[in-house]
Amino acid sequence: MKVSKKLLTRLEGEAELKLFWQGEKIKDAYISVPNYRGFERILVGKPVMDALVINPRICGICGHAHLRATVEAIEDSLKRAGYEVTITEKARLFRDITLSLEIIQNHLRWFYLYLMPDVVKLKPSLRERFAPLKGSGWQEGVRASNYATKALATLAGQWPHSSYMVPGGVTCDPTEADINKVEALVERVVDFFEEKLAGIEIQSYMSMSGAKLIREVKGDILSFFEACFEHGLDSVGRSYGRFLTGGTIDPCVVPGTKSKRICKFHPERVYELGNYSFFSKNGRGYTWAKAARYGGVPCETGPLARQLIAKNPRVVSLYKKYGDSVLVRVFARLDEILTLSLSVLDKLRSVDLSQRSCIAPPKEVKSVSGEGIGVVEAARGTLIHKISVSRGKIKFYDVITPTVWNLGPRDDVYLGVAEKAMIGLDSELKAYTVLRSFDVCSVCTSH
Amino acid sequence: MNSEKLNLLWLHGLTCCGNTQSFLCAEEPLLSSFLRKVNLIYHPAISEEEELEVKVRAILNGDIKLDVLVLEGAVPKGESDKTYKLDGMSLSELVLKLSSLADYTVALGNCAVYGNIPALKEKNVSGLQYRFKEKGGILGKDFRSKSGMPVINISGCPAHPEWFIGVILSIASGKRILLDSYGRPKEFYAYYTHDGCMRNQYYEWKVEAESMGTKEGCLFYNFGCRGPMTKSSCNRILWNGVSSKTRSGQPCFGCTEFDFPRANLWETKYNMGIPAELPEGVSLRGYIMVSGIAKTFAPDRLKRRLIDEGE
Ligand code: SF4
Repeated sequence: MKVSKKLLTRLEGEAELKLFWQGEKIKDAYISVPNYRGFERILVGKPVMDALVINPRICGICGHAHLRATVEAIEDSLKRAGYEVTITEKARLFRDITLSLEIIQNHLRWFYLYLMPDVVKLKPSLRERFAPLKGSGWQEGVRASNYATKALATLAGQWPHSSYMVPGGVTCDPTEADINKVEALVERVVDFFEEKLAGIEIQSYMSMSGAKLIREVKGDILSFFEACFEHGLDSVGRSYGRFLTGGTIDPCVVPGTKSKRICKFHPERVYELGNYSFFSKNGRGYTWAKAARYGGVPCETGPLARQLIAKNPRVVSLYKKYGDSVLVRVFARLDEILTLSLSVLDKLRSVDLSQRSCIAPPKEVKSVSGEGIGVVEAARGTLIHKISVSRGKIKFYDVITPTVWNLGPRDDVYLGVAEKAMIGLDSELKAYTVLRSFDVCSVCTSH
Repeated sequence: MNSEKLNLLWLHGLTCCGNTQSFLCAEEPLLSSFLRKVNLIYHPAISEEEELEVKVRAILNGDIKLDVLVLEGAVPKGESDKTYKLDGMSLSELVLKLSSLADYTVALGNCAVYGNIPALKEKNVSGLQYRFKEKGGILGKDFRSKSGMPVINISGCPAHPEWFIGVILSIASGKRILLDSYGRPKEFYAYYTHDGCMRNQYYEWKVEAESMGTKEGCLFYNFGCRGPMTKSSCNRILWNGVSSKTRSGQPCFGCTEFDFPRANLWETKYNMGIPAELPEGVSLRGYIMVSGIAKTFAPDRLKRRLIDEGE
């Protein structure tokens, strides 16, 4: 059997893809993540508040989501230990706003910097716009992503690696002028979406779905759609069709699971399997990631899952026709740039700066014991942090990243979600594009 | 290929890629200027070229002159190095080879400079010329690149894009780069995070922030701010062009220094009522005298909110 191996770059970190061919078709695929830093071990014995500084460093592109998951896990442990933790509406809005901005930033960089350079190889006429470093799309995409990072930093001090969320709220105390600046920056993101991505007015874009949307959309989304239809990306990339969203970003993201219908999400059904990861030491391991399962089965997480579960009409209509193909998975991510930006604008308008930013929990929490969980949405999907604290020191820490769901290994019954999506493909290039459609982040996958 | 451009090769070790993301946040026109003056022959996340082997072979046979080698991330040595094999070379071997050919070697971010978080539990993991405080690292303490300079250390978790681009542009224009005792460009690391912080008046008059989430008060006394002991330009060259940790109410965690991340990052340690660590160069006697007087004469306006309903 022919075997091909490639170290994939142009993503967050590096990942190795090993493909087994039977004739012209991919028979099996292994995704392996070679680098491991060991955050969960490093955290053991540390004072609990230090996790707010260490954990964002798990990932350079979604560190803010790790911060949010950390603060929620700590707050949950305090609540379960009997302390009252209240956060003001203002602090809650800021947490949602900055998390959304990080996701927006990610989606823009991912599309222009990581995904499209591969699509260019399928369709060389797109080169001028989408070539790395030189293409106008590349440069405009970076610039647009920085409206979001600048807006984020206006509230959170800096991006990457802010630690501005703390138990009881946030550390920042912005002025009205700061809020206006954030609003102006987010409006620029919406403009960019309108002018460059959708190429049509937002109102009419939002009013369309299904075939009409495909017919009328323009801009870079159209370029991507055309490449999909020419190269069959509207039909490949399908996995199990089972989706999961654990976190909430009011009102655009709600928790739930979906296969045939949408059900409630129960965090206690989540667990990890390590029998094909290097941790197991049984000789079968091929990656530093574990496999995440929900009630025993693999699930896809991320923008496609989020938008299907939140019943976004555009994404639902395309999913009906094209399933969980590359086309729909990528579209869901792009569409989220708009829905999240619009909700950030709404939230900015309702922030009341006279409320307190932080209501610090009582001093003795520094020596509290207990357990907590934080479930949030990161750019690539559901991120879960579990903490166990003994007299203020971390006893145990577990991080289940979105990419563990999507890019984690197989178990004895099921292939990993992205592995499954590559079976049966007839070209390496398509396999890379399918893999990229999940938005690969190897640093999170292994952490 | 434009021969006047600097040939720059960027490698990843054990990293979160935060320095790449930070780099991409560079304010215009700096990013464009960088792209105009630099030929990014390989970068794992953003270059056109995807095959590192191809470029490395060309550098090793002398077909490409390597002007600048940039490493982001910590490097495992010897046995523990399972990161990747490139033409049979491990990352540490690759770094050794390329740094002997490059005119300049730059360590970008605290992992590449000191080892940082990936080195905390792994003895074999270190930065290019340091492992935390100890000089040595992967390249050894006597390492000099072809230009005669030791590793240029651009510390920070992450490093600010302007510090990095500033150094590269200085190299491109052949300017001298003065380094401090940790190999960091003085241009950016002669300052303290404290310099330019909006809370300086509160620091001077010893007005402490009593709770988090306010613009007012200094974070040195209650919340562990390392601003006066940390070399950085964070409050001089703002983050993302707009803010900084202390401006948004977070203490400085000292992430440009070798001992990041320390334990108890949000607390100030006291010995008999005096902060256990004083700003660099300040004597205990001096601190006690100055702070006693400051506290006694602190103006009342510093004890009120800056913006409220009052007149
Ligand atoms: S908050 Fe920190 S950096 Fe700012 S004045 Fe106080 S000690 Fe200096």
